[in-house]
Amino acid sequence: MLGAFRSALATPDLRRKILFTLGILVLYRFGTTLPSPGVSYVNVQKCYDQVDQQGIYSLINLFSGGALLQLSVFALGIMPYITSSIIIQLLTVVIPRFEQLRKEGQSGQAKLTQYTRYLTIALAILQATGIVALAVRGQLFAGCTDPVIPDQSVFNLIVVVITMTAGTSVIMWLGELITERGIGNGMSLLIFTGIAARIPAEGGNILNSQGGLVFFVVCVFGLAIICSVVFVEQGQRRVPVQYAKRMIGRRMYGGTSTYLPLKVNQAGVIPVIFASSLLYLPDLISRLTTSTTSEPSGWQQWVAQYLVSQSSWVHISLYFLLIIFFTYFYVSITFNPDERADEMKKFGGFIPGIRPGRPTAEYLRFVLGRITLPGSIYLGIIAILPNLFLDITGQGQNQNFPFGGTAVLIMVGVGLDTVKQIESQLMQRNYEGFLR
Amino acid sequence: MKLFLQILVIVSSVLLALLVLLHRGRGGGLSSLFGGGMQSSLAGSSVVEKNLDRMTLFVGVVWLISIVGIGLLVKVG
Repeated sequence: MLGAFRSALATPDLRRKILFTLGILVLYRFGTTLPSPGVSYVNVQKCYDQVDQQGIYSLINLFSGGALLQLSVFALGIMPYITSSIIIQLLTVVIPRFEQLRKEGQSGQAKLTQYTRYLTIALAILQATGIVALAVRGQLFAGCTDPVIPDQSVFNLIVVVITMTAGTSVIMWLGELITERGIGNGMSLLIFTGIAARIPAEGGNILNSQGGLVFFVVCVFGLAIICSVVFVEQGQRRVPVQYAKRMIGRRMYGGTSTYLPLKVNQAGVIPVIFASSLLYLPDLISRLTTSTTSEPSGWQQWVAQYLVSQSSWVHISLYFLLIIFFTYFYVSITFNPDERADEMKKFGGFIPGIRPGRPTAEYLRFVLGRITLPGSIYLGIIAILPNLFLDITGQGQNQNFPFGGTAVLIMVGVGLDTVKQIESQLMQRNYEGFLR
Repeated sequence: MKLFLQILVIVSSVLLALLVLLHRGRGGGLSSLFGGGMQSSLAGSSVVEKNLDRMTLFVGVVWLISIVGIGLLVKVG
């Protein structure tokens, strides 16, 4: 393991890539602490310490690595990009032109990426405006009297919004630079750093408020969760595929037997993101319609009691069911058994014992449907795990809690992916890798 | 002075967003976001991309300096 690290750093090409990636990440972290122009850093810190109930923003705050509540230059983080990716992904089902582009291969994909980027900027403007509006009205930190933005002239507010939008585009660029010249996928690495950067602070929180024993138990528990997540993420069903032998001239081609890997968790963390975004909607609506003077109406109380409160069983079970639903939904979008079977047939491949064409597609669909069930249940359990331990983590913190839930899923997924990429680069030079 | 810096921030922000959008997207959407495929395009960056990189970097530095400048002015003034 350590030898692999040494040889990774000894290879000049790989060393340059790793250092480049680290440099960009440092730049990104620097940007998340740089306050936007016109935002009073002192007041933000004062308010941040006063208010720990985050509720609705916790997901966005998670993806921006805590930058949102600091109102920094990179306050929006990667969230607009994720949202616009999800929207474009969903639109490929609805709009025939997008579906066509997706099937077109590389050039079509590039066009879709370009649309995603445009939509990201548009969404960034929207979200920046929303957050600045909340900050001005004092709703970002409920109950904090110090003005976060002292100079509330329209011109000044516009400057803040535009700066945040430009910050989002810079993040997008940084991510693409990592993907292009560094190692790993840039966007997911940026999310990874955002989450990982919070671990020491969250751990310190628990240590201070609960004492050493609880802290130790939480650490052991967190490690166990990480191990099990790695275990399931690596799990796959290998469907054997046999390729027919062909004679072309005097050469023999094909005749190899390979396998089609079907991961247990084919959908990744995306179902969790979908589900939590959907669950935040009622909260958002009830907050926007609440007036400060009158009593909250009946449905608002219901929402606050059952949907927002993360320890209520309605919230937990709804979250669980939504995750299972979205797992199936997302797998059905990304993996098309008919297409796979068609491709196999074209290149002369077949699954032993099953006829090519429609029976193969049906077989794949059957296997996928069966393997996704434990995958989706696993996703749901991991995601609701922190909800069951609210006494330790504190109300309103559960999605940010770095030892369970969305955060662990993302961290493990991204970490595994990056290590695999470094390893494949290492393999070009020697055979010792990180993973055995 | 502050007004000048603010105008500079606005101009450089708009320029920055436009320049970034001019780049060829390498993100690959969500599928590669969370452990998807491992395809890496081998196409090297062309001269246009290189110049674009340089311009983006320059505008980015101007953007950064003006933001820090405003921050300092708010703190001191």
